[in-house]
Amino acid sequence: MKIVVCIKQVPATGADKRYTDEMRLDRVGVEAIINPLDEYAIEQALRLLDAGTADSVTYLSMGPDQASEALRRALAMGGHDAVLITDTALAGADEWTTAKVLAAALDKLAPDVALMGMASDDARGSLVPGAVAAMRDVPLLSYGSELTLADGEARVRRLSATGFDWIAAPLPVVATVTDQVGEPRYASLKGIMAAKRKPLETWSLSDLDLSPDSLHGAALTMVTATRAPEEKPPTERIENVPAPEAAVKIADWLEQRKLI
Amino acid sequence: MTYLPTSDHDELRAVVRELAEERIAPRAAEIDEKAEFPEDLRQLLAQQDLLGTCFDERYGGTALDTLAQTILVEEIARADATTSLIPIVQKLGALPIILAGTDEQKDRYFPRLASGEWLIAFGLTEAAAGSDVASNRMRAVRDGDEYVFNGSKRFITHGSVANVLTVFAITDAEAGGRKGMSAFIVEADSPGFAAPRVEHKMGIRGSPTAELTFDDVRVPAANRLGEEGEGFKIAMETLDRSRLGIAAQAVGIAQGAIDAAVSYAADRQQFGQRVADFQGIQWMLADMASQTEAARQLTYAAAARVDADVPDLPYWTSSAKLVAGDTAMRVTTDAVQVLGGYGYITEYPVERMMRDAKITQLYEGTQQIQRLIVARQLLQRAGVAKRGS
Amino acid sequence: MSNDILFLAEFSAGKAARSALELATGAAELASQSGGSAVALAYGAGAASGAAALGAHGAARAIVLGDEDQPAITYAPAAVAAARDGGLAVLAPATPNGRDLAAALVGSLDLPAFGPVRAARVVDGVLESEQATLQGSVITTARPAEGAPSPSVVLVLANTFTPAEGGSGSAEVSQAPEAGESALSRAAVAERHEADAKVVNLEEATVIVAGGRGVGGEDGFGPLRELAEALGGAVGASRAAADAGWIPYQLQIGQTGKVVKPSLYIGAGISGAIQHRVGMQTAEHVIAVNRDPDAPIGEFADLFVVGDLFQIIPALTEEIRRRKTASGGQG
Repeated sequence: MKIVVCIKQVPATGADKRYTDEMRLDRVGVEAIINPLDEYAIEQALRLLDAGTADSVTYLSMGPDQASEALRRALAMGGHDAVLITDTALAGADEWTTAKVLAAALDKLAPDVALMGMASDDARGSLVPGAVAAMRDVPLLSYGSELTLADGEARVRRLSATGFDWIAAPLPVVATVTDQVGEPRYASLKGIMAAKRKPLETWSLSDLDLSPDSLHGAALTMVTATRAPEEKPPTERIENVPAPEAAVKIADWLEQRKLI
Repeated sequence: MTYLPTSDHDELRAVVRELAEERIAPRAAEIDEKAEFPEDLRQLLAQQDLLGTCFDERYGGTALDTLAQTILVEEIARADATTSLIPIVQKLGALPIILAGTDEQKDRYFPRLASGEWLIAFGLTEAAAGSDVASNRMRAVRDGDEYVFNGSKRFITHGSVANVLTVFAITDAEAGGRKGMSAFIVEADSPGFAAPRVEHKMGIRGSPTAELTFDDVRVPAANRLGEEGEGFKIAMETLDRSRLGIAAQAVGIAQGAIDAAVSYAADRQQFGQRVADFQGIQWMLADMASQTEAARQLTYAAAARVDADVPDLPYWTSSAKLVAGDTAMRVTTDAVQVLGGYGYITEYPVERMMRDAKITQLYEGTQQIQRLIVARQLLQRAGVAKRGS
Repeated sequence: MSNDILFLAEFSAGKAARSALELATGAAELASQSGGSAVALAYGAGAASGAAALGAHGAARAIVLGDEDQPAITYAPAAVAAARDGGLAVLAPATPNGRDLAAALVGSLDLPAFGPVRAARVVDGVLESEQATLQGSVITTARPAEGAPSPSVVLVLANTFTPAEGGSGSAEVSQAPEAGESALSRAAVAERHEADAKVVNLEEATVIVAGGRGVGGEDGFGPLRELAEALGGAVGASRAAADAGWIPYQLQIGQTGKVVKPSLYIGAGISGAIQHRVGMQTAEHVIAVNRDPDAPIGEFADLFVVGDLFQIIPALTEEIRRRKTASGGQG
């Protein structure tokens, strides 16, 4: 069973982030980490590897050269090799473009499971997994708190409104997992040392038989303006009063807004 | 020789720092309050391959250079001094074997030490023999192909949790401490060996500092390190290297205190402004930072020289330990001062850091012993050393 | 027609989800700007019989994608077939199901995608939308690029549109066009498990009282339940409380849990980390109760009460009950 985990390198939470003059997210030069929600996908893949259900784990990422750091960190956690897709034509790529590129790469790698995290920390989009599944005409098993593989089929355990369901589909699939998979492992020192020796290939668009034109000049959407958010009215505070008095004030506040 | 950290060193630091901040720092106050050995953190460090850094790859270690080992200790100590003793003592206890052991002895013990499955301790100090190592009294008497140990040791870090110890004992009472001491590997489950009590201490309270008793303990001759009579030399050569771990620990403790003080000063307001904006506080913080940096760089320079095996190694390692230990004490005391009243209460970590710092001026050779070593090196260089030193 | 505004309308157990009503209202607003009609893409158990009623909220037509209780993604081929007929935009709720279907549309038809948006309007014949990025520090305005295909797929945050009350229209209902064979319909529910305890669907709740690490334990949720009951609402929790096993995961609110849109959200003992905030940020009124005067939740709450939740919450419950009784039990 071959698993490819798609990961994204994102700016660290709290790092200074901003939009450039060309209305693009300025990614270079800020501390970068593996998108935290992707770590759960990595952890799920490695658990299947530990259990012997999967026999290879490959990491795939699309990004600037610097994204190879994220791939090395992933390899340090475990897994066999990695592929970085990087091309100047991909600067400013939106979700559709990302999906198109990943879909092409996944068709080439042909895994049993293409595994991804739920969403990315910075742009908060979560359409890439579903779009990739549609483009490749492969079933989508999303929002799993656990992924299992058996008998040519994949299953995810998904929380429902009032309980949980196991949703199944025949392989190959695209699957996404949530943080309920469990704590991702730390990279051990030996893992970090071994990661340096694991194969990391770099592919450009031509390696995927994709031309920049077929990607609509790398984006179907464009940002036309940015601004600061509206001033929120200052938070009202109740403090240093005894609880019964606080309760009266809160109840007054609720009444004023017709909430009680 | 360069001792500028490489990108590999930086990556190691980042990885250990993440682990230290997420898993070790949150436990530090509890470890100190309960004075409990952090077995969970020992297992975590073992799992992350962080207890095998001084062992060769053929034993399952990662054979990092001394600078990397220093950075590892520094980053853990920044979060918690007690936990940093786990990798420190793992190396301290193993050094006699690294320096004087046979391949067979290394094959027997190193794999389990490198994996962190076993802990090792260093049994040199006795109740009446601290700085004065040569007046050790524990006896190891040859009997067939075994030695029989009788006596006791005191202030042995991890003595009560170690699976194996390197122990120094007198094999030739007439020859005296310097010429009649030998080094041995003793397994803790040997009959007659016990760790009956641990000390209550000012700091590093989660680290068990044990008294050890040997009551007709039989140790195979195959466990002797080197020849009879080489024990003192092995002990000194060990300490010449291991004291660098204490220097690293001291630098880490100091850095932790600086970070806590800066963070507090940036938040706390008095007289209508941040404490960090008062010039007097800025001067204190600047002194703390620059002195810690000096200690750190000297420690790194010494680390590079360990790997270069320079002939005046003791000059470097003793200088580093001397400067770092004194710096840690000063910096942590100043950190408490910066926090004012809040620095004195246990809700903030700096009072613990100050109590922890003190030990770096005492163990693995007091600061006074370090000064003697440095002075002796100076006099040797100048060609005016005393005869017989 | 190419000026129509399509929207996903989810049904479950015979009822339209609140998101369906919100999007119907929003689609109708946008359709009046574009000169087209609001068209529902209805799916889920009860869609066939309930679709017509979407007309009361502004839908002119409703296309039924399917009427079974299947994973939402299996309706993607039918949605794609319906969207192929054209339109200015497809509105989807920013929920897991909404995202899955939106993603399938994007991938199958190579459509531009936006969101999650907090505002949308038709300008120069295209859909322009606003979205908060970089953790809320920047609001970006976006539109489709030159020559991009239609319709635009737009994820819409809850509470962006308020369902209009008391409309009287009835939507014209039709079946979705023939969808080709697609792997997306090959996911199926293999096993269903109901939770042991009765858990409420938080996504539909209008009042939520949520507890976090500060609640301290399973028992700590007692006072929160009482308050929720007094307010006619539901109990939720932060991830910390769910991880600690104090409440079931179905009640976890946050980026990886439920995204809720109550008109009143009361967070007790919750610090307000971004991952939780993302799950409740569209709540209309936010009250936070926390011992820590510097808790991040204080920055985006409307009312921040500093104090011991175990004193304040019961006192509040009592005060609310007192007022209800005094006003004759109304409210």
